[in-house]
Amino acid sequence: MNTHDPIVGRYVYVQCEGKTYRTYYEEHGEGIPLVCLHTAGTDGRQYRHQLCDPDIAANFRVIAFDMPWHGKSIPPADFYLMEDEYKLTTKFYCEFIVAFCRALDLKKPVVMGQSMGGNVCLALALKFENEFSALVALEACDYSPGWWIDPLHHPHIHGGEVVASSVFGLMSPESPDENRWETWWYYAQGGPGIFKGDLYFYSVDSDFRDQLQKISGRLPIYFLTGAYDFACTPEMTERTAEKVKNSECVIFSGGHFPTSEDPVKFKEVVTPVLKKIVQNDPERRGQGAAATRGNLVELRAARGSERTAARRVIDL
Amino acid sequence: MSRFQNRKSFDLEWVERWARRVNEDRRLPVIGRFFNSRFVLGVDETDYLIDVRGGKIQRISEGLTPNDMGFDFGLRAASSAWAKFSQPIPPPMFNDIWAMAHPLHRHLIIVGNQLPFWQNLRALTHMLSLMRAI
Repeated sequence: MNTHDPIVGRYVYVQCEGKTYRTYYEEHGEGIPLVCLHTAGTDGRQYRHQLCDPDIAANFRVIAFDMPWHGKSIPPADFYLMEDEYKLTTKFYCEFIVAFCRALDLKKPVVMGQSMGGNVCLALALKFENEFSALVALEACDYSPGWWIDPLHHPHIHGGEVVASSVFGLMSPESPDENRWETWWYYAQGGPGIFKGDLYFYSVDSDFRDQLQKISGRLPIYFLTGAYDFACTPEMTERTAEKVKNSECVIFSGGHFPTSEDPVKFKEVVTPVLKKIVQNDPERRGQGAAATRGNLVELRAARGSERTAARRVIDL
Repeated sequence: MSRFQNRKSFDLEWVERWARRVNEDRRLPVIGRFFNSRFVLGVDETDYLIDVRGGKIQRISEGLTPNDMGFDFGLRAASSAWAKFSQPIPPPMFNDIWAMAHPLHRHLIIVGNQLPFWQNLRALTHMLSLMRAI
């Protein structure tokens, strides 16, 4: 007997900054559009568990797309003529997200992004707040330096292995091994220089420290960060959330890739947030809303209590 | 008992136990097939020179001498940091060498030529994680 995921994948042509991008996306569910943004250098597979989740799909049309250069979305046709290395900019990232939502004719979607997809939520709140109804920023903060580094794209270093291994420690050691290594695999499959180029946005082109007070608060923002995230620590998220009006902050005992490294725990963490979004937008919830489960668990879980002669030679 | 246990003194005998555990590992000869390097494991003021060939540790030496002609790269941290790193469930910010070395944290310093460090990061990460198994 064959078993299929309920996910459906398609390609849509998205116009952005004068170019056309053949863009791959997957979706499942009915109701409030929930557009999911993957992390740097990877693709929408990071959301495969949420895409398949019947409880989420009961209220949300879950959509995960691959950014240009990522996953099954190809680069622009003339990429081989580029005179600079690939660099994701805040401007392009924001405009592409908006253009993708318009290409699918989504009305006031919710955006959920993690890592760089979380940080860009701050830019969306600053520049495009009228386009969305809520933002869920996973592993996000106002400034995340230290990642735009040459070893991540170097001809003497295996790009896939170094990129994947450089992010492995961002995951909680208590997340399931098979999920952590699947996440490692996604990273190992990125195109050359794409992870590093995304980190140009993440560590260089997106410093929101002096802009947070400009966020109006009309758009609710939910911050969720795992205790083992060493790129965006719980303290960095908390510091950011304190300055953002109409925001909430949840710290949980996970890592930087909650949707893929521990989808069971992530469901516990995100369910109360999704429930609030549905409560704030009751008309648009999906047809299966009545089936939504009530297993809501508020987690502010166990974070670490701290950050916290003569020469001897042995031949083995 | 704390969720994150404290233990270990990082003397040569401890390094030897770790090295022998590394050499028992069946994956390292595969993922570390081309991992040939002499790197320093620095614990407080003590440097241990680790000689790796094909993902296996061939020799460990306490301290550095002129005859070593240097080393490829070094990972230096306080014993308190290595103690956290080597716990079965290491606490946040101490569960990974890049986490410890990242400019945001600096619990570990990478010295020397970083090219072989990054080239062998996968095998090196696994090799060091075996500190949690001794």
